[in-house]
This record gives sequence, structure tokens and C-alpha cells, in this order.
Amino acid sequence: MRMNLLEVDAVTKRFGGLTAVSRFSLTVDAGDIVGLIGPNGAGKTTVFHLLSGFYAPSEGAIRFKGASVVGAKPHAICRRGLARTFQIVQPFVNLSALENVMVGAFNRTGDVKAARQCALEVLDFVGLGARRDVLARELTLSDRKRLEMARGLATRPELLLLDEVMSGLNPTEIEEIIGLIRRIHAQGVSLLIIEHVMRAIMALSQRIVVLHHGEKIAEGRPADVARDPTVVEAYLGEEA
Amino acid sequence: MSEGGRSLPPSDLTADLLLQAVVSGLLLGGVYGLVASGLSLIFGVLRIINFAHGAVMMLAMYTTYWLFSLGGIDPYLSIVVTGPLFFLIGMGIQRVVIEPNRFAAEHNQLLLTLGLALFLENLALVLWQGDFRTVRPSYAGASFVVGEALVEVPRLVACGGAIVMALALFAFLRLTDVGKAIRALSEEPEGAMLMGIDVGRIRAVAFGIGAGCVAVAGALVTPFFYVAPDVGESFNIIAFVVVVLGGMGNFVGALLGGFIVGLAESLGATLLPGSLKQLVVFGLFVLVLLFRPAGLFGGGRDR
Amino acid sequence: MTAEVFAGLALGLLVVAPPFLPPYFLEILISVMLFGYLGAAWNILGGYAGQFSFGHAAYFGIGAYTSTLLFLRLGVSPWLGMLAGGVLAAAFGLAAGYLSFRYGLRGPYFSLVTLAFAEMLRVIAVNTKAVGSSLGLVIPNREPAPVNFVFAGKLSYYYVILAMAVGAVWITRRVARSKLGYSLLAIRENEDAAEASGVDALGMKLRAMAISSFLTALGGTFYAQYFAYIDPTITFGPSVSIQGLLQAIVGGAGTVLGPVVGAFVLTPMSELSRAALRGRAGVDVMLYGIVLILVISFLPRGIVGSLRRPGKGRGNPPGVPLQ
Repeated sequence: MRMNLLEVDAVTKRFGGLTAVSRFSLTVDAGDIVGLIGPNGAGKTTVFHLLSGFYAPSEGAIRFKGASVVGAKPHAICRRGLARTFQIVQPFVNLSALENVMVGAFNRTGDVKAARQCALEVLDFVGLGARRDVLARELTLSDRKRLEMARGLATRPELLLLDEVMSGLNPTEIEEIIGLIRRIHAQGVSLLIIEHVMRAIMALSQRIVVLHHGEKIAEGRPADVARDPTVVEAYLGEEA
Repeated sequence: MSEGGRSLPPSDLTADLLLQAVVSGLLLGGVYGLVASGLSLIFGVLRIINFAHGAVMMLAMYTTYWLFSLGGIDPYLSIVVTGPLFFLIGMGIQRVVIEPNRFAAEHNQLLLTLGLALFLENLALVLWQGDFRTVRPSYAGASFVVGEALVEVPRLVACGGAIVMALALFAFLRLTDVGKAIRALSEEPEGAMLMGIDVGRIRAVAFGIGAGCVAVAGALVTPFFYVAPDVGESFNIIAFVVVVLGGMGNFVGALLGGFIVGLAESLGATLLPGSLKQLVVFGLFVLVLLFRPAGLFGGGRDR
Repeated sequence: MTAEVFAGLALGLLVVAPPFLPPYFLEILISVMLFGYLGAAWNILGGYAGQFSFGHAAYFGIGAYTSTLLFLRLGVSPWLGMLAGGVLAAAFGLAAGYLSFRYGLRGPYFSLVTLAFAEMLRVIAVNTKAVGSSLGLVIPNREPAPVNFVFAGKLSYYYVILAMAVGAVWITRRVARSKLGYSLLAIRENEDAAEASGVDALGMKLRAMAISSFLTALGGTFYAQYFAYIDPTITFGPSVSIQGLLQAIVGGAGTVLGPVVGAFVLTPMSELSRAALRGRAGVDVMLYGIVLILVISFLPRGIVGSLRRPGKGRGNPPGVPLQ
């Protein structure tokens, strides 16, 4: 019997009088790449905060690998195999790229040498091998995004949440990140991706979920979702 | 504060003693409120906890002392000099020491004001040594009785002066352009900058006002306090407690918080022996920090 | 590598030279070692984990009073008392730390609450007759008895504190090169990102607190045995807290050798200033204030931190060397 990797079951998140997420449900299976899109303020990052343990849901259930993660601290959820990046990159600015990734690698080992080895491999994988001793504060934005992904990858996740990793990147960099994401997927990591760069999310996702005002308004294959009038309305409505 | 711990076992407690404690606590609380308002203002605009706040108060007290003992100038009258003087000194300190480091890490800015405090307190120690000095104008001992409680005139004047000063500050913040700019910068820093407010100048002014407030408070308490290099330290701690209690950046909260802390301290002094009253204040501090760091009245930062 | 060689040479000198030093210099060296030790202890929580405690005097005082009371009242050797004090201090530190961290106190709020805790202990000590109130405790009978941590000459005390300082530096090095060290740095840099990367922030901070408070308490016992007198102001007062912090900040918070280097700079400076302006109390601390302001303004990573990576940069100092 196949168990869903991630099950989000009618999750609601309220902040005082404001409902940021309303009865949101989602499943991600092993091997999936799922896109999460929606106009600004739709609640996408809030969903990520809920999944990674930074917020607790007001209602509803979240299960990762069959076990509830509600109430678990972020580090515990990471240990279980769910890693994330942040919408605004959060590197450890005064540590080198290698040291940054080692922090993630320590998730799987207590040994410094092993962590270092793992970190070096991951850095090479994302293409930062040559800059491993550069301080994170001195890396370009594109490199910082790779670094954050590397740090997440070093924790050996089964599910990786990517929050707008392409924002602020130029077309060449975007292409490179798309390639990197595909390589990550090929390694067996499932992905849930928030993105505004439409062509990227269309190209990568097997399935897309659309969030608007905290509610899921559409879900399906990229082509179908793109044509869905409710989705178009939501985006156009925001632009007006 | 150093008033000689007067306390009795609960069985001898009478309504009179409690009344006295309430009166004393509220009177001193007004001054605490003024001290804390200055600190709160500084935090609101500059986002730093000014460890040197008490040291500035101490220097103002010395200034009042010298004006009184060398020039015969009444401590209350000398406020006309002391207030503006320390406003300028505050602005100077901010421009020279704090502003160049405004992008430093938060804890480094804290250390900056700590360094300032160490410097100023010990400068006073080096210059004037540790002897207690007093400012005792003719009316220093004046008092009258309200019901069963003794009200000392200097304390009453200090409280009244503090309230007046706080109200003036309030009016200033509400009605003047500079005041509004300060509030804007305090509540919405990014928006304020976009509005073309001269941020650097406002930050200096805010610090200056904070210093001016605490200087006035210092002058007000000299007739019934002692003047020594370490006198600022006790007010410093109390100011932190009041500001956290009232909500960092919440000026009204600071004033109200001052009364609460003054009351708590005074009741603690009546109920507990020795100097254990300080435990009441610190205990309150810890409780608020742990359970309501945004302050009883909110408006402060949440941790 | 050169840092290690340098440190090794310096250590060699510190072991071999003191018997030939005049007593005055030996006294200064003892102070240097003690402050360097306290700085190293503070550094683990403050420099590596980035949690700036302003109340480490709490642990110093617990250490000093525990060993002294056990010795005076029960005849327990201060060596054992030292351990007991360390354990007690660690327990207190864990409790205070748990309360503070669990309730999410960070940055200046954490600093303030640690200050409050230390002050509370001081007030309790002042008002408790059993521990001597404000008069404090005197350790009488200074017959040399190494088994009771009482030595004939200053030289022996020096070697004790030297060993302690070396131990503290060694522990710092071990921590820095371990999972704990990397985790602490991550927490210092960005606690939320660290959590998201699998770092148990609360657990790691508590570990750092336990080590830091334990070590600091040992320093308190040493002080008590060396000076044979303790009182609430000396042991629980803010000056102890500030001393520890100062060495680390000036020398380089988050570096292995920083606190000791800081002590070597600050203590002689303090001594010289006191000698130069004899009779004027407070000159040394006044200088501390100026030095602190200057260091934060121009050398925010401290001496060792700046030697590693020159330039002001923004924010915290880097710490872990890659070997």
C-alpha cells in the first residue's frame, strides 16, 4: 500500500482576524514535482511555514511519511526528511559556503569529516565547488540561491520545498536553476515548488496547485491549469 | 532605591503603612516614568537599548549639584540649563558614537552603549570620586500630611515635574513636525524614509530628547537623592524594567509602567526586609520578559 | 598553522618564564589568565552561539560561594567544591537558559534577562545571613595545603589558573571543530535558517550554556581560593559579567584564542592606567569603556577575528577555522 509522502488535510491558518490559509489540501507522492502558484499574498509561503513547522495550523492535519508533523519543531521535521529554502535567501553570511552546507550535512552525521565530505559533494553537485571557501556574504544572489538549495540538499531530504528560487535571477541563471532542479529530482528528491516565473514552473511541474486568498482554486496538469478561467481571473484580477 | 529598607512583619501591617507605601511608590513612579519615556523614545527610533541612560542621568545630577553648590542656583531652576544642555550632549553622543555604527549588529550596538556607560560612570568617578554628595535647598525637608500619609514636597514636585515633562513630550510628538517625524520613524521606518524625512537628524534629535528627559528627571530628584557616580545604575535597571513593562517604544506605556514599578518597589520595600524589594522589581522584570515581552500595554517588540 | 605555532610558543613561555618574574608581574599574569579564562567560558555561549549574556556573574558567584561554603561549613576540599559549584552553576544555567530560550528570548532581551538573574542572586546573597550578607565570606587559616587548594606562593596559583585557561581554550577548540560548534555558529548567524537546516536550536544553546556556566563557576572557586575573600558585589556584581564579555569581544568573539588575547591586551592596559593615575579609582574601567567603543566601531570582529578576515563587514565575526 503506497503511502503519500506528504498529506495536507484541510489545513487552515488564522492570524487573529485574518485567515491566511483556508481548508487547504494537498498530497505529494514520492517522485513528484508539484508546483504551487498564485498571486502575491495568496498564502503560498504561509503554507511552507506550516509544512516546515514554523507555524502551527489552526485547523487540519499535516502528515509527512504517514506521521503527523503538527507541533513538531522545524529541526525535527527537517530530520524526518523535509527540507526547505526561504523566499528571501537566508544564508549564514559570515560562514563560508562549505561551512553553510556542513550545517545541513550534520543533519545526517555527527562526524565533522563526514559532514565536510558530504558538503563538498553537494557543493559540487549544485555547481559551487569552486567557491566553497568564499564567505556567503560575498556570493552573488544566484550563488546564494544555489547555496541555500545545497544546504537543504545536504540534509538528505525526501521532500524539498523551494520558495521562489528564481526570483531576481536573469534568464541564463533561471535556465541553470531549472537544470539543477531537474538533476535534484533525478536523484530521487521530491519537490514542492513555489514560483512566479511561469515558464519555469510550467516546464518543471508534473502537477500544479493554484492558491488564491488562501484557498486552493485549481489543481491539475500545467496546461490545464493555465487554461482554467478561474486561475486566469485570479491573476488578471490582481493586476487590475 | 536607597531609602533604608523599612519593613515590618505582615502582622503589624496597617492600612496606614500601605497608604504610605502607595504614596511614595506613585511619587517616585512618576520620575521612573519620565526616565523610561526617554529610554523608550530612543528605542523606538533607534532600536537600541541605551545602557548609558542612567549614566546621563547621573551626569545631569552632578551638573545640578555643581550649579547649586558653586552658583547657588536652585535645582529646579537649573533645569532650564540642564535640560537643553543634555539634549545637545545627547545629540552629540548619537552623532559621534552611535550613528557611525548604525549598521552594526544589534548586540554590537548594545555593547556600544554599554561601553559608553562604563566610560561615563567612571569618568565621573575619576573626576569627582565616589563620595556621596547632596543637594539640599531650603525646602528639601518640607512635607505635609494627607490623611495618614506623609508627602515630602521635593518628591511631590519631582513627580509633578516628571508628569509635566512627559505631557510636554507627548504634545511635542503629536503636534510638531519634528515630533511627527519621530513617530513616523518609530512606527514605520521604511515608509518614513520614503517620505523624505531627514533620518539622520531625527535620530540625533530623538536621542537628544531621551537624554534631555532623563537629565530633567535627574535634576528633579537631586533634592531628595544622593549624587554619586553609581546613582545612575539603579535608575538604569528600573528604566529597563519599566520600558519592557510598558512596551518598548510605547511612551504612554512607559509612564504608566513607571507608576506600576514604583508601586511594586515601594510595596516590596514595606513587605520585605532588607533590600529584598529589588527582587520584586527583578522578578516582575523576568516575568514580563518571559510571558509578555511586548509589554503589558503592547506596542513593544515581541522578543 | 602559524596561529598554532605562535600559541604553542607563547604557552611555552607562559610555563617556563613565570618562576623568574617579579611578584608584581606574576600577579598581573594571574589576572590575565583568570580574565582570559572567564572570557573563554563566556565565549562559548556569547561568541559561538551568539547569545550575549550580561549576567555570567551568576555562575561565577555560584561557584565561589558553593566551594567556599562547603569548605568553611563542612570542611570539603575546594577542589571537590569547585566541581560541585560547577555542577550547580550548570544546573542554574540550564534552568535560566531553558526559561529564556523556550520563551524565545533573543538578542538584547536575552541579555537583559541574564542581567536580571545575576542581580537577583546578588540581592539574595546580600540579604542572606547564612552566606555572610554583604560582609561576605573570608577563608581563614592560610596554612598551605594543596589538598585544600591553598598554596604557599602565588606561583602555584598561577599554574592552576594557567592550566584552567589552557583547558578552556582546548575545550573551545574541541567545540569549534565539532557538530556543536558548527551548529552554534549557524544559530548565531540565523537561528530560523539553522532550525530549518535541522539544527536543534534549543538543545544546542542549552549545551553551550551548560559548558559556559560550568566553566565560569570554576573560575569563581579559583577567585575565592586565591583572594580568600568573597562578597556578593565582587562575585555576583556586573563587573565580573562585564570582564568576561570584554575579553572575548576585544580579543575576538567566536574565535578560539580571542579571549586570551583580549586578556593580554586589556589587563596590562588596566594595570598601567591604574599605576599611572594612582589614587584615582575608575580609570581602568573608563578605559575599558573607550576600548569597547573603539573595538565595536573599528574592529568589530575583535583582534583575532580581524586578523583572520580583515575588514569591517557587517554583523558577527566568523569563527571556525577550516583545517
